[in-house]
Amino acid sequence: MDNNMCNITKSFESEEADGTDQEKEISNVIFSGKDELELGESAENSELWINQENSVDFDDDLENINITNFFHRVDSDQIIYQKKKRKLKLVGKYVMGDLLGEGSYGKVKEMLDSEMLCRRAVKILKQKKLRRIPNGEQNVQREIKLLRKLKHKNVINLVDELYNHDKQKMYLIMEFCVGSLQGLLDSTPDKKFPHHQAHGYFLQLIDGLEYLHSMRVIHKDIKPGNLLLTLEGDLKITDLGVAETIDLFAKDDTCYIGQGSPAFQPPEIANGLESFPGFKVDIWSSGVTLYNITTGFYPFEGDNIYRLFESIGKGDYSIPDEIGEPLRNLLTGMLEKEPQNRFNLQQIRQHSWFTRRPSISSAHVPFPPLKGDTWHNMTVLPYLIDHYYDDPCDSANEAQYFTERELNESERRNVESDNGNAQSNQSSKRSSGWKKPISCISVRSLPGCKQS
Amino acid sequence: MPLFGKSQKGPADVVKALKEAVNSLEKGDKKAEKAQEDVSKNLVLIKNMLYGTSDAEPQADIIVAQLAQELYNSNLLLLLIQNLNRIDFEGKKDVAQVFNNILRRQIGTRSPTVEYICTKSEILFTLMTGYEHQEIALNCGTMLRECARYEALAKIMLYSDDFYNFFRYVEVSTFDIASDAFSTFKELLTRHKLLCADFLEMNYDKVFTHYQRLLNSENYVTRRQSLKLLGELLLDRHNFTVMTRYISNPDNLKLMMNMLKERSRNIQFEAFHVFKVFVANPNKPKPILDILLRNQEKLVEFLVRFHTDRAEDEQFNDEKAYLIRQIRELKPIPGH
Repeated sequence: MDNNMCNITKSFESEEADGTDQEKEISNVIFSGKDELELGESAENSELWINQENSVDFDDDLENINITNFFHRVDSDQIIYQKKKRKLKLVGKYVMGDLLGEGSYGKVKEMLDSEMLCRRAVKILKQKKLRRIPNGEQNVQREIKLLRKLKHKNVINLVDELYNHDKQKMYLIMEFCVGSLQGLLDSTPDKKFPHHQAHGYFLQLIDGLEYLHSMRVIHKDIKPGNLLLTLEGDLKITDLGVAETIDLFAKDDTCYIGQGSPAFQPPEIANGLESFPGFKVDIWSSGVTLYNITTGFYPFEGDNIYRLFESIGKGDYSIPDEIGEPLRNLLTGMLEKEPQNRFNLQQIRQHSWFTRRPSISSAHVPFPPLKGDTWHNMTVLPYLIDHYYDDPCDSANEAQYFTERELNESERRNVESDNGNAQSNQSSKRSSGWKKPISCISVRSLPGCKQS
Repeated sequence: MPLFGKSQKGPADVVKALKEAVNSLEKGDKKAEKAQEDVSKNLVLIKNMLYGTSDAEPQADIIVAQLAQELYNSNLLLLLIQNLNRIDFEGKKDVAQVFNNILRRQIGTRSPTVEYICTKSEILFTLMTGYEHQEIALNCGTMLRECARYEALAKIMLYSDDFYNFFRYVEVSTFDIASDAFSTFKELLTRHKLLCADFLEMNYDKVFTHYQRLLNSENYVTRRQSLKLLGELLLDRHNFTVMTRYISNPDNLKLMMNMLKERSRNIQFEAFHVFKVFVANPNKPKPILDILLRNQEKLVEFLVRFHTDRAEDEQFNDEKAYLIRQIRELKPIPGH
């Protein structure tokens, strides 16, 4: 598999190889001549506005060093950044793009399949990180095995797997998704969807769940954060890290372990029952999910996990008054305390809220923009353009320097333009005064420093 | 009333005109050519009411409701399908589009067209026989699959005698028709899990006798597709009872063992996925155990050399190793 891994980039700093993708390296005059390490870390901080992935490292640093010792007051226009060429990186036949998100197990980045020209997402797992998580490696291996077997429109598809033994990294190449239902919820003011939109997602969730159950897989961690959306609006159930497959010849679906997210666990798990019917666990969490995406609340809450489980265990909850029939009835059926009395998939399918398309009451919630990009353009493209069309001499000598002020300026504009896009109806007047600056996009790769 | 051009025809008029034209087409009298034109024209009118055109929006709900009601009352849907072969090429496609749109219509939680077709199941049976006529087979196929999405309609089709004609349709010599028929067949057997499981259980003997013929077909594609579908059906948790029954029959085991030795590697591979269920069964009936015991050594030897080039496929290798171990450790039931 090692042969699959090749690096177009000639020189790779150790940091970069570590996966801390230095889309741009910035440094400034304050630190020049000082300790190299701090220089790197603080520089990362100053680029936070685009590349948020290093925030954690920075926090660590804060504790260790008394930063004030290093700070001198410098006017913003004295700090100069230089634009750096984006380096094209290949992993197997895939061209690396920008960061999409970060999970507990590692980063997720965009990729382009250079043969099929298909947009993909890659989950990069580092063995070092995995070992720190209890059962990390084991769970990942199990999940991969499971994902290989599954093929359904509403279940995430594992397209390819690559390993780099030298770097101790694993690349799981998946279908490209724009984000999770949770991300979409978070972008709305009251954390819920209009009913017609929730209905569309719920139908797909049930389709995917029916498939999983037919393959004898109990997901055990259904929640908005584990439901991804593609650009076409297709829902994909993901994260089968705690899923359980019941034996082909098992008489029923009895399970013994429940380890999903607490707020979505059914009373039988909250009460610590020794065994419980597995398929009904997913029904419950789908019920909580439906409750959550239609009301913006959770049926059960608690300050800590004990309070939460206590409240779930009692099974008392209320549905906001705004929720009318038949949705109220469906939620009640799915959040039935006793697993035997809880709806099954068939009952959900035949339920009148399920079969009826709700009328379109309010505007569809659109995908939130990714780092200011409303259209979710392919992030691999700039790398390819730089690699094939940019003359290296040109870019080194031309105006590739920016002052801090210019950076802030372009950032501010970027934010404004986002706001403008959000209310594009009214914003035409506001936005007419200026053009969306091109520089703020090219600013993305800012490497080594020059003193002004 | 518009000032210029012809006055707009209401749904009732269009449906009436179309019905007359189809009747006249059916009789095949002298006016056939004129009738053909009228059919096409009125079909386009109806289609535009439902879908709209580049210049016009679809008609308001009230007009569509009227149209649907007229279609039910006049029995025009059935008439159109019965005469589908007489309608010209574009007209056939229009019929399918109109049919599918009307079928999806909802009032609240009700699907009036589905209810209507339930009372007029002849529509479904006429569509199914459509696979016997090359020129309309694919049009009927799209309408059938749209029908199969509704459990009530799928049920009527599954439980009809005509369903068993599919075992013939999936084998016809025209490849595109055979594949279209197979996808409808598969849809009917897999779409509505509980309905399908009940159907297979209740009609086990009849279905699997017919199915056996597909597995023994002369046609490579039929053999491979049906074997793959069999694997999917048996491994689906909903069909647990059917699976237990299937793997208790020694004839089925013999068939799979023969298919493991087929010339085609793809068929061997699909057969492996059915064969493994027989071996993994913790409660093997005596006839099954006897066959496995009789072939114990040969099977182990065979499996060790079976598809050794699939080194990359971890799951397959795990399963293969498991089967080999299972077969090696087989012991006769004491007392026999």
